[in-house]
Amino acid sequence: MPDPSFVFAQSLSGLTAAMFLFLIASGLSLIFGVLRVLNFAHGTFYMLGAYVAYQAMLWLGPGPGMFWIAALGAALTIALLGGLVERLLFRHLYGKEELYQLLFTYALGLILSDVAKIFWGTQQKSVSRPPGLTGSFSFLGATIPQYNLFVILLGPAIALAFWFVLQRTRVGRFIRAAALDRETLGALGTNVDALYTGVFMLASFLGGLGGALVSPMRATVPGMDTEVIVEAFVVVVIGGLGSLWGTFLGALIYGQVLSFGILFFPRFSIFAVFALMAAVLIIRPWGLLGRPLR
Amino acid sequence: MLHVFTLLLAALLTCPLVAEAQKPIKVGMPMPLSGPPALFGDPATKGAQMFVDEINAKGGVLGRKLELLTRDSKADANEAVRVARELILKENVDFLVGTLTSAEGPAVSVVAKENKIVFIAPIPKTDQLTAADKLHPYVFRVAATTTMEGRSAAEIVAKWPVTNVATMSFDYAYGQDVTRAFVDHLKKIKPSVQIVDQQWPKLGEQDYNPFINAQMAKKPEAIFSSIWGGFFVTYSKQAKALGMFDTIKYNFIGVGEAATPETTKSMGADYPVGIWGNSYDAFYWGETPAHRDYTTRLSKYLKDEYPSSWAIQGYIGMQFLAEAIKKAGSADSDKVAKALLGLTVETPVGPLTIREKDHQANRGQLYGKTVKDAKYPFAIMKPVTYVDPSRFMD
Repeated sequence: MPDPSFVFAQSLSGLTAAMFLFLIASGLSLIFGVLRVLNFAHGTFYMLGAYVAYQAMLWLGPGPGMFWIAALGAALTIALLGGLVERLLFRHLYGKEELYQLLFTYALGLILSDVAKIFWGTQQKSVSRPPGLTGSFSFLGATIPQYNLFVILLGPAIALAFWFVLQRTRVGRFIRAAALDRETLGALGTNVDALYTGVFMLASFLGGLGGALVSPMRATVPGMDTEVIVEAFVVVVIGGLGSLWGTFLGALIYGQVLSFGILFFPRFSIFAVFALMAAVLIIRPWGLLGRPLR
Repeated sequence: MLHVFTLLLAALLTCPLVAEAQKPIKVGMPMPLSGPPALFGDPATKGAQMFVDEINAKGGVLGRKLELLTRDSKADANEAVRVARELILKENVDFLVGTLTSAEGPAVSVVAKENKIVFIAPIPKTDQLTAADKLHPYVFRVAATTTMEGRSAAEIVAKWPVTNVATMSFDYAYGQDVTRAFVDHLKKIKPSVQIVDQQWPKLGEQDYNPFINAQMAKKPEAIFSSIWGGFFVTYSKQAKALGMFDTIKYNFIGVGEAATPETTKSMGADYPVGIWGNSYDAFYWGETPAHRDYTTRLSKYLKDEYPSSWAIQGYIGMQFLAEAIKKAGSADSDKVAKALLGLTVETPVGPLTIREKDHQANRGQLYGKTVKDAKYPFAIMKPVTYVDPSRFMD
């Protein structure tokens, strides 16, 4: 029987990982839900978010609050970049064959990551945890870094804000309508093009924010984009592409399975996650909380 | 097949029959220049290029200039093989110096054997490369091996006042091999030490929290890690946040170059100062005039006040090749291969010798406890010791 404090610590680390994944996967899921494009370049937006946050920290210096300005600035920069990419490139993808879309977004990811290499080179970059959240505290015998706790609280806050916007606001109604029937919405006089750009920018913002917030916990290196996109993809497949709470649930499951998986299959915990994804694909191909595609 | 044949024919026809002496000696260098491993591959090619520029300025080797042709191997065995073949068939390179990962090295070794071309591996550590069943007359290594690295770490940990140790390594060839070498050697020289836990995250893991929690639940007194490069930055940041280094009182050794100036520099104040680590080189070592001189030149060449610790591997690889060509008096691979056997070269880290029996150089690494030093804005190893592996290479 494992020590309860260990079980607690382990579930918290699973939760932290889950909330990061949620930040990234929610953008992926949103773009797919509304624009019907599986954006493989989303992982690269996440990586660029981390790099921009690093760059902003270099310019701003260490002072208090600087990290938050850097993180927000990075997320906004990536949102702008996302807006540009949507306007100039993605526009031509809608309604095209899925294979074509996939190849295009994959290529875009490769190009953007090479651009990142031109700016920041191949050396690993590192951002410190923000002052005020550098410590840790003990609870039930487990050590919990303050920053991890912040991330654990941020995840549900973003999910709720998201839910509120989608379900309770006028913009949210348009977004949901666009996901269901783009033509009819356009025929009714809504500027669907602007709506798509807005959705894409929001998704890119979340991806960039994920990257910026992850930078105090992980090294910022070339290649971090391809790692995260695979994880985010597993999350949305488990939870259901296009479903907000499905993505949230998928992220929670992913985090816990990975955390506790290492107790049962020490060298194959990643296998447990993929096995779960395969099982979901067989039993509910549209994911746990997703809707079957028409 | 026909394709290869036409290429060969084209190569033969374009080969000038005269002016052999003026023709440069071409050296092909497959090295990862993209993706995370480019972090080491890129400076290694620059170290090699610096050597080439310097020797050409002095008139080259046997009156011929050296020419370095680098290709991106993408840290992938298939790609490394492809570019190695391209370098041999299309570019007519005389020698190969290169590869980084333990997958690329052995794959390119096969190409070298087929084409009877000398191949010097400056970075791959897997024992496989020069194992008895894989060894052939044309493959040589100037990198440390997993056996040498694991045993060096065991020699250090054996001196610590701890009764048990845990290990943290990636679950693939390098991680497994270096950890096995460490554990076996430690058990041999200090049988009283227990191995209480072994964690095997997948290569490139981004979230170490579950592994660290699981490991700390076993209450280890010391930890051996082979999490390398940028991955060490991620691992140690998360371990530090969880208070791991304090709990084990900094009885931690990170092989896989966890104490390179690149890593400590990029982490700044976040580096877990007080742990032990290793590195192929450190600009602040300066033990010998040769090393100080090399560092000054490299610093100028790279325009970097704190030059890379990986450049030296490309430099030493080229150094061995040039010395062997001189000794052989020819750029013929068969003669150069013979010349490399037992060859001793004065490198910036001191004299290194390629052993006749396994074509392996006694390349040790720098080890030390990391400390803060007022002279630098990042942690350095102090005292830093060059661990010569000659005693425990077999």
